[in-house]
Amino acid sequence: MDVDTAINAYNNLVQRVFSDPKQWPGDGRFKATKLEEVIKSVVRNVTGDPEELLLEVSNASICRT
Amino acid sequence: MNANIPVLFRSYQSQETHSGCKIWEAARATSAAPTFFKHIEIGNKQSFIDGGIGCNNPSKLVLKEAQVAFPAQKIGCLVSIGTGQAQVISIGTPGFFQQIVPTDVIDALKAISTDCEATHEDMLLLFANSPNIYFRINVEQGMQGIKLSEWGKMANVEAHTMQYLKKKEVDEELISLINAIQSPKAQLMMEQFGMKQFVVYIKF
Repeated sequence: MDVDTAINAYNNLVQRVFSDPKQWPGDGRFKATKLEEVIKSVVRNVTGDPEELLLEVSNASICRT
Repeated sequence: MNANIPVLFRSYQSQETHSGCKIWEAARATSAAPTFFKHIEIGNKQSFIDGGIGCNNPSKLVLKEAQVAFPAQKIGCLVSIGTGQAQVISIGTPGFFQQIVPTDVIDALKAISTDCEATHEDMLLLFANSPNIYFRINVEQGMQGIKLSEWGKMANVEAHTMQYLKKKEVDEELISLINAIQSPKAQLMMEQFGMKQFVVYIKF
């Protein structure tokens, strides 16, 4: 993601997550499910798979095995 | 949950890599600011909350990690990017939520402000004799009134940031920073930092 894309993704994320607070705030005022949904859509847009693993398997620049 | 021990989520191989952790889980864990979102459980029912609780300025952790990942290499440049002065990190009005959030977490939140700046001071000291390695960029004025959840104030954030970037001393530092990234001098070996000190410091 370039910087402009990242800023746009963040703006979209905060708007969607924080404009919709919980009606009955318990453990947190905002919906974690909503946050997860928006994060996954960002991951899907960038990698193609919302469940993509964090570990990059072929990272030659840092893998020291 | 133990807010005192930071956990690093890595995208590269390491002895402590969380294998099987998904990108969204790591993003969700680092966003789990108490009073905002509930914590998240990953893998073996490990519970995570946002690192802002005990480690809002992770510069020392980064150095320690670099020493482990690249023990034989020299350090070129370390850039620390802040999110404004400490009052920015507003947790909202205490009261109802304070009953839910453990008091030790509240205390930790109060300590963030001092922690961030103290870490910056420590880093300045550490690199005092090695110019153009450590840089900290932080919009000092104007962000205090803007809470994390105030998404409608993005234009204010942008305006304060532009004003900060126009300052002469900031502009000069940015030029040095860009030089340091483009052509790192690689002046210091990792071992030269006296990292043993850090291990003590990291226990907030």
